[in-house]
Amino acid sequence: MELEFSKNKIIFEKELSFLDRLVFEFTGILDKQKIDYVIVSGYIAILFGRSRNTEDIDLFIEEMPLKKFLGFWKELYAQGFECLNTSDPKEAFNDYLKEKLAVRFALKENFEPNFELKFPKTDLNWYSLKNKLIAEINKKKINISKMELQIPFKLYLGSDKDIEDAIHLWELFKDRLNMELFNGFIKRLKVEEKTKLLEGKT
Amino acid sequence: MKKFPKIDLKELEKEMELNRQQRLEFVRMYAEWLKKTPNKVWSSQQNRLLNKQ
Repeated sequence: MELEFSKNKIIFEKELSFLDRLVFEFTGILDKQKIDYVIVSGYIAILFGRSRNTEDIDLFIEEMPLKKFLGFWKELYAQGFECLNTSDPKEAFNDYLKEKLAVRFALKENFEPNFELKFPKTDLNWYSLKNKLIAEINKKKINISKMELQIPFKLYLGSDKDIEDAIHLWELFKDRLNMELFNGFIKRLKVEEKTKLLEGKT
Repeated sequence: MKKFPKIDLKELEKEMELNRQQRLEFVRMYAEWLKKTPNKVWSSQQNRLLNKQ
C-alpha cells in the first residue's frame, strides 16, 4: 500500500469501487454547498482496503440554518438522491437534525448504501468535525475522522465488526499515530483493556 | 433416532471464541499483506469482492 503522508492529509491512488464513487458524489455536493462534514463510519476502514462492504456511511455535518439545508436538499434531489426518512425537507431539518437524530439519504429507489447524517451532539462529535483528516484519493478530497480517535472509538463500539476495523486501521497506521492523542482517547473512552486485541494479546 | 442432536453450549462457546480469534488473526494477516501490496493490486481485488456483495 503506497500512502503519502503530510500534515493532516493522506494521499494515495486506488481503483475506485462503486462505494468510493458514491461517497465522492455525495461529499462533492456537501463541498459545493460549503457544508463542513466528517466521515466517521466503517467506510474509513473500507477506504483503506478492508475486505468488507457496508450499508451505511455515517457523517457529522456542521449545524446550519434551515435555508442552507434547503439548498443542500435541493441539490441532493437534483443529483439523484432522496431522503429515506421523509419527503419533507422542513421535517427532516426540524424533527430529525435539530433533534440530533440522523437523516438518511440514498440514490433514488435504493435503500443501501445510504448516508446517515447528523448534527454533532457531544464534545467528541464536535472534536471529530473540527479535527478531521483529509484523504486525497485520485486527486479527490474527502474529510475523515482522525485515526487517533477512529481506532479507540471502534474499540469502544465493540462489535466483532468494529474490533476488526480497529485492528485493520491499527495495523496500517500504528507507526504514524500521535500516541499521546491515541492514548488520551483510549483512556477517556475507557477501552484500555481492549487495546490488547490490537496487539493480538487475548 | 433422536429428534435433536446433543448440544454442549460450553463447547459451542469455545468454538465461537476460537473462530473469533482466528478471524482477528486473519484481519492482521490481511493488513500485513495490504502493506506490502501495490494499491492497484489490492484495490482491484477489493473491488471484485465489493461488486460480488
